[in-house]
Amino acid sequence: MSENALDLGFSALPRSAEEGVTYEDVLRARDRLKILKARAAKSSLRLLWLLAGPGVLVMLGENDGPSMVSYATTGATYGIGFFVPFILLTFLMAFVVQEMTVRLGVATHRGHAELIFQRFGPFWGYFAMGDLVFGNLLTLVTEFIAIQAGGLYFGLPSWLSVAIGVALVIGSLAFRRYATWERVLMALAAFNLLFIPAALLARPNGAALAHALATWGPLPGGMSTAFVTLILANIGATVTPWMIFFQQSAVVDKGLTRADVAQGRTDTAIGAVLAAVAAVATLVATAPLFAAHVDVSKFASGADFATALVPLIGSTGATLFALGIVEAGLVAAMTISTSSSYSLAETVSAAETVPARHSLNLAFAHGHLFYGVAIASTLLAAGIVLIPGAPLLAMTLTVNVIATLLMAPALLLLLLLANDREIMRDLANGWRANLAGGTTVVAISLIGAFYGVITVFPNLLGK
Amino acid sequence: MQYDPTLISALEPDQLVAATMRPLPRRKLSRGVLALLIVLRVYIVIAIPIVVYAFVHALLVPQ
Repeated sequence: MSENALDLGFSALPRSAEEGVTYEDVLRARDRLKILKARAAKSSLRLLWLLAGPGVLVMLGENDGPSMVSYATTGATYGIGFFVPFILLTFLMAFVVQEMTVRLGVATHRGHAELIFQRFGPFWGYFAMGDLVFGNLLTLVTEFIAIQAGGLYFGLPSWLSVAIGVALVIGSLAFRRYATWERVLMALAAFNLLFIPAALLARPNGAALAHALATWGPLPGGMSTAFVTLILANIGATVTPWMIFFQQSAVVDKGLTRADVAQGRTDTAIGAVLAAVAAVATLVATAPLFAAHVDVSKFASGADFATALVPLIGSTGATLFALGIVEAGLVAAMTISTSSSYSLAETVSAAETVPARHSLNLAFAHGHLFYGVAIASTLLAAGIVLIPGAPLLAMTLTVNVIATLLMAPALLLLLLLANDREIMRDLANGWRANLAGGTTVVAISLIGAFYGVITVFPNLLGK
Repeated sequence: MQYDPTLISALEPDQLVAATMRPLPRRKLSRGVLALLIVLRVYIVIAIPIVVYAFVHALLVPQ
């Protein structure tokens, strides 16, 4: 280890057992021991299984309620064509961004929020955390809207769906063990793939799919404001600030090290592929609505799509679609509320105002703030959804504007950190990573800012 | 706390909670990065009112 790294506070091994080993360390060490044994046995598949998680969860978590509605709207409006390869491209962009968080996590063993605070100072630390926690709260509202809408399809009253959702989100925190929490969420997130059988029941035309992938067409209606808005919404559905904060913190909490970068990348790539397949499947499942000329402009939720799909793909397909929407909202609520917890506790800890720890390995007694943030934001979001006449549409719109307009600072800070050689050393961005990352960051930032502006001023591009 | 010291050796020293609680120093910013961060602050000053406008405008539009 270089002297420079020592100066930065790395390699702070406790001088005695009593000095600094916590129960959190013991739990993480147990997980690491399994990884070391798998690596010694050269069992690459077991190693990947043990190290996978943050990447798969972040990608499938981003296939959330509003995102699936966005993909469904795309399929119902444009059918199978341009948007099939375009969605695949957006997930490639997501991979480029998220891969940087893996390297940041293993190089520094610090979450994204605390790294911003410590390296760029309190202004950026508090801004990044405040922006994320507020945006996440509004996003959580939209996730509970998805859960509620899915429940309505199955005849459940709103309060019951939301109550079940709250119980599951808060219940997932009761494991007080990162590894268990992660595996349970991965099992739940697998239900995101329900959109695949739903798509198969729509009897997609394989030749049309192959043609779309090869030619990026057709594009019915050509370029229009609605088309541009949908392009921007699809990008916004794939890369968002909470993903950056969540994956870096999860990589640290899981205990990944520099030796695990390759598996961390593979985990992220697998997550991107699974999420892209589910997203395209959603588009394919709703393509029959395009063929039947169904007007979806008044559809408010995923349940409306499921109901409209019954005569076209059958009740089984529509039921799978509605279940997928519920899963999308539920898993996203779990990951997003946890990203708020990580971010707020890391910032408080970095500010050294009060000692705050941030890990899913914490006992409740040691993680009041950490668990409190997730529980409070979940209860608040669920409560808002149940308030009669609550301005849910206004909140949904504001979520989009915040996520897209304020994406630029999050991405640029990420790129600056990934180039910070003092902390990253050999894992800092090389020229290839900067070319891919820089192009992606600049493109998403400009597009995000543009989307935010035209959402607020919809007549900017004309009718 | 009772634990097996060999178990803890499975963790890298930098990974222990005691090590991660030690803050990293502020980054020395080059002129280029400093300029970029100033531009970002200006961007935020412009962006936040747009977010507030979007929310208030959406509230006022009948649902």
